[in-house]
Amino acid sequence: MPGVMVFLCRCCGRIPPTVDLLALGEKIGREEGVAVVETRDTLCLPEDRAAMLRSFEESGASGILVAACSPYGKAGDVVTTLSAACDGDRSHVRLVDIREGCAWIHRGDPAGATAKAGDLIRMNLGFLRHGKRSADAVVAVRPECIVVGAGSAGMAAALSIARAGHRVHLVERGMGGGGMLKLLSHVYPTDAGAEEKLKPSLEAISAQPLIVFHAKTRVVAATGYAGDFKIRLASGTGETNLHVGAVILATGAGVWLPRGLYRYGELKEVLTLMELERRRREGRESPRRTVFIHCVGARCPERPYCATICCPSSIKNAAWIKRADPGAEVTILHRDIMMPGAILERYYRGALEAGVRFVRFAADAPPVVSGDGKVENVSVFDAINGVEREIAADQVILSTPLVANADNAKLADLFHIGIDRYGFFREDDPLHPLETRQAGVFICGSARWPVASGDAAAQGEGAAMKALAILGRERLSARSLSRLPEGKLGHARIEDGFCSGCGNCVAVCPYEACALQKVGGALVSRANKMRCRACGSCMSVCPNGTIQMPEHNARAVGAMIRRAFSPREAR
Amino acid sequence: MTSVLSRTPRQATSDTLPVLIEGGGAAGITAGLDLAAAGRRVHLIERSGHLGGQMLNLDKIYPTDHCAFCPLWTDIRRLQTDPRITVHLSSRIESLDTTGEGSLATIRTEPPLIAPERCIGCGACFDACAPGAVKPPGEHVYPPSFRIDRDLCNRCGSCVGICPSAAIDLAREEERETLKVGQVIRAAGFIEADLKPLPEFGYGLHPDIMTSLEFEAWTAEAGPNDGRIVRKSGGGRPANIAFVQCSGARDDRLLPWCSAVCCMHALKQSSWVKRRDPGIDCCIFYTDLRTVGRDYYAYSRRAEDKAGVRLVRGRPGLIHPLPGGGIAVKFEDTLTQKREIRRFDMVVLNGNLRPSAGDRYENGAEPPAEACGFAAEPADVAQSAWQGSAAAMMAISRDKEGPCRA
Repeated sequence: MPGVMVFLCRCCGRIPPTVDLLALGEKIGREEGVAVVETRDTLCLPEDRAAMLRSFEESGASGILVAACSPYGKAGDVVTTLSAACDGDRSHVRLVDIREGCAWIHRGDPAGATAKAGDLIRMNLGFLRHGKRSADAVVAVRPECIVVGAGSAGMAAALSIARAGHRVHLVERGMGGGGMLKLLSHVYPTDAGAEEKLKPSLEAISAQPLIVFHAKTRVVAATGYAGDFKIRLASGTGETNLHVGAVILATGAGVWLPRGLYRYGELKEVLTLMELERRRREGRESPRRTVFIHCVGARCPERPYCATICCPSSIKNAAWIKRADPGAEVTILHRDIMMPGAILERYYRGALEAGVRFVRFAADAPPVVSGDGKVENVSVFDAINGVEREIAADQVILSTPLVANADNAKLADLFHIGIDRYGFFREDDPLHPLETRQAGVFICGSARWPVASGDAAAQGEGAAMKALAILGRERLSARSLSRLPEGKLGHARIEDGFCSGCGNCVAVCPYEACALQKVGGALVSRANKMRCRACGSCMSVCPNGTIQMPEHNARAVGAMIRRAFSPREAR
Repeated sequence: MTSVLSRTPRQATSDTLPVLIEGGGAAGITAGLDLAAAGRRVHLIERSGHLGGQMLNLDKIYPTDHCAFCPLWTDIRRLQTDPRITVHLSSRIESLDTTGEGSLATIRTEPPLIAPERCIGCGACFDACAPGAVKPPGEHVYPPSFRIDRDLCNRCGSCVGICPSAAIDLAREEERETLKVGQVIRAAGFIEADLKPLPEFGYGLHPDIMTSLEFEAWTAEAGPNDGRIVRKSGGGRPANIAFVQCSGARDDRLLPWCSAVCCMHALKQSSWVKRRDPGIDCCIFYTDLRTVGRDYYAYSRRAEDKAGVRLVRGRPGLIHPLPGGGIAVKFEDTLTQKREIRRFDMVVLNGNLRPSAGDRYENGAEPPAEACGFAAEPADVAQSAWQGSAAAMMAISRDKEGPCRA
């Protein structure tokens, strides 16, 4: 039976009498393209839902329109059921909200509410006449993964994926694994030795047959999409091509050097935290009087961020100096002590109890390091006690932030993901912090945002978990790359022969799904279904309507708008 | 539904036991969805009658200032429709026996007297209930369903006959079920600790002294005032609002820890107050302004420099209602060493968060359990979500050889 089947829900009498369903049903029944109108009591209840589905299937109607409540009420479930019955094809399914949007909000105006419900239904009937379904794309998933960066995050990610039974290419631009941990002596908050912490991971990686370690190697080219990435690696010995299903970026972060600040580089007793870590690793003792200065080059106009790890790192070392030599004088000059949470707060108190002295200074009154040929003194205005303090010092440790790797911009470009204004990889949204705007590309560790090694490793495991959702499948459909339970709304489709190659769509696509290609000598745009997220940006800037979202094509939306604005009397 | 083909996992997983997840908030939902996407079966135990956890109580999330509800809503719907996930609402894990192979979990379910799958949200029961036992669904609860407070209900039955969809059964009794599970993920999140034992905060003495979650609900765009900032007492526009950080936190008498999320939470709330009504004076009393995540520091700069939120370093020593209206806040600005008593129209207490599963964080959870989110350590939405994914991976790795963490 051609035509649309319309179901009106009475919502147990919560829609009528405000909306006159009898009159509405009669009017809608006379509309062009309507096969049959059925009024039911409660479409959201399982029994009515099943009956509706049966009735629709028996009728053989080409489309279904349900006029009930808001999708944020119960009707969301109704549409899920119907979409499932149509194998995800929502081009034949429309939901019209006649409860919250009509009956309830216009309670005092039954005639108006009924007319509005009629308008909404007619608009959606118009839509259904032109609604189309976009073709899906299915790729065979390559059951391998690439992990870029072999620090805490990358090692944990690679080990996790390998243990789940998939081959992993672990790509490291340096010699071996370990990343930032190799530069540290001990790690907070456990105070475990960095080397002891690193050893089991390195051993597990070399013992794991499914991990292929690419040392002194960089990613130089990448194409493809979730399930099917083609990646070229370059090392001193030549180039390697990989073909993988998922990508995990764990490239870590860099250390910033405070050249010219606090007489760093001029006085040799002015060190960065990393240099202190090296001395500690080498077993060198600290002199008696140490002053730590926090937020050196951080939370300032050039780097307007807190790098998370600097406060705990310097508190770790301050407490170590004090515990090793209870007679030592250790002072931390800070702007805010960034030790959030239960573990770090306890760690901070441990340092206080060990006898580390904390002095707060204001951002506009930084401490001054003085000394002739060597560090002698640090003067600071103690903001809390309102006094100028002169602190005698034998060494000054500068707590500097982590900065994004210069490589990030290039990798972000290769894999079409975003970076933030500081150069770190940007996540999709706070609830999906390891996912990027490209399906199949995941981020973790300090490449995403500065984190402690333990958290970086946990993020690596999390990213591995996300990758397994792709690697564990034999085939991946473009439609399934969506957070909606019904699958992705659709994909942009570019009509061959009409595209003028203007590139507007390429410029606006946030997911870099549109790209210009040469076809028969002319440049035309092509939309990649695996990357497209059905946002519709391209459709709105296409000058001649060549790009359409079949599920929301211009004719369908136009039909809705025409019906919305045609005078009621004429109908 | 998405073509079944693409969701079929490569490996058969019938030999592995399902994972038990305690808590259906940001961490638990993420862990559950990740495990199901990798082909694992999941039992998710949620204490309340709906999924979403504390994130549902947030109007906006920092630092994006986006609504909390949208990303959550799609994830909740995906969780509810995934055939690998069994959601147990209004349930608790009563006991966990780990002696044999796998674990035996006893789940106690107190089924809601109004069946959520049948409730159409009309509110007839709410109008009919004399003792006020029927509660409306929260603004962001999906699916929206009324519920009955068992303690207030006098079993009069007036709601039963009036319910048009036969959703109410006052005789429903609690049920027990034993599940055989493998790994366990603890993600029970946080609750607010009662501030009444600390009298200097004045909590409970005045309707305009509220906790930050109460303030969030009171000022939510979908809340009782449609996002307008008004006083609870009398409904007038407040001239000024004090946000008091570390209320009960970093305080050995109640919560010795830093709750981690409250600095940004106060910056978010005060920025939104300023956005909706720039004339209201907002003042945050803080000890250390802990803004450690992406864009958090920039957010605090924006709040202070652009929106005009005032930051005062100091912990108020006394908060008390004034006889003529308003609330007195006594504090020392520790950066100017000035002591002051200032009158505020509203006071928001921030920081009194504690793990809902007990008095301590489970960051040392013993296998087969793994903790994530606020149950493990104070965590915001993003931290809870990645920890949820990490815990899911841990559950899978443990079934193989053991954890992969360095």
